[in-house]
Amino acid sequence: MFEKYPKEQRYTLSILQDLQKEYNYIPKEKLIELSEHLGIPLSKLYSMATFYKALSLTPKGKNIIKVCDGTACHIRSSRSLLDEIQNTLGIKPGETTKDGKFSLETVNCLGSCAIAPVMVINDKYYGKLTSSMVREILKEYGGADDE
Amino acid sequence: MKITIDGIVCEAQKGEMLLQIARRNNIFIPTLCHSDALPGLGSCRLCMAEVMDRGRRSVVASCIYPVKGEIEVFTHSDKIKSIRRNLLMLLYARAPEDETINKLRKEYGVPDNIRFSGDIEEHCILCGLCVKACEELGSSAISTINRGVTKKVATPYDEPSSQCIGCGACAYVCPTNAIKIEENDGERTIWNKTFQLVRCERCGKPFATREQLEYSNKKLGTDCGEALCEVCKKAVVGEKLKDIYERTT
Repeated sequence: MFEKYPKEQRYTLSILQDLQKEYNYIPKEKLIELSEHLGIPLSKLYSMATFYKALSLTPKGKNIIKVCDGTACHIRSSRSLLDEIQNTLGIKPGETTKDGKFSLETVNCLGSCAIAPVMVINDKYYGKLTSSMVREILKEYGGADDE
Repeated sequence: MKITIDGIVCEAQKGEMLLQIARRNNIFIPTLCHSDALPGLGSCRLCMAEVMDRGRRSVVASCIYPVKGEIEVFTHSDKIKSIRRNLLMLLYARAPEDETINKLRKEYGVPDNIRFSGDIEEHCILCGLCVKACEELGSSAISTINRGVTKKVATPYDEPSSQCIGCGACAYVCPTNAIKIEENDGERTIWNKTFQLVRCERCGKPFATREQLEYSNKKLGTDCGEALCEVCKKAVVGEKLKDIYERTT
């Protein structure tokens, strides 16, 4: 999968992004393989992989939930959305459910303050949310089925 | 070319770094991340100085400021002192128990009752000098990991690195002695990896790791012959020179 790119340092990030897309995270073996392929020290790649939020070293869930906790969303009680998700799925921000279905992240602004509080699942936006709405939305994705 | 630093006229070459010129003229500018062998980092910002260039005043990091014209420099103006105090306050918050930081903090009169509370175990100020040393001298075994408040220097996955040759250059250059390096019973432990130390063939003192010697042989392209510690190496060279001198006179 590296062959698509010339063996040059400047393609490192593109390759890492491809790996992230392919595996939903960056496996250790792949990172080592890439370091050998490009001739870049592993420490450099590891540094990059931990620097960018778009890259993850632990497996990410199939559905990525991003809850906005920027100022506008925060004062419209985005925290209660997070609490609701934690109650339903049992994960805190930065964590992934055991079944690998969901990952939860907080973001600092989604640029949609008019519809605060906002949550994004994969690439779909949900605005003007309440806790009960969150529960319903999660059901659509196959979460909260224990109820 | 002549420049004036704190009222002292100094001879300078075009393109020379301001800090270098100041040091040569015995003008003290505090630094943490600067090493003559590994210049150009400019991350600790303690070496800030005020530069007056053609009527314009600016604040620069003297370790990475190349002198281009006849400038006037102030290394201890009120503005600079206040900048250094702020920097030291933040560094103190980061590494509250560190000796180097505390010495500088006291020198600049920064109180120790600040509103930030740092980890008393922390000594690293994340200047990046060790990473640079490892890159240039060793084999890039360490790097900065994560970012923001969780940023740290470590080996990939916090595991013993196969790249690390145990040379200890990182610990040697560290301005705050933040890198743990332990030596006992002919073993050296650094970055969670333990190395067997090679004994000096003359005095028997354990002095370097096998990986380190192999690395330097490879880098120099020759076998360095006898494995000698620093003191014995000097003695051997001294003897050789003495022989040559005696033969020629």
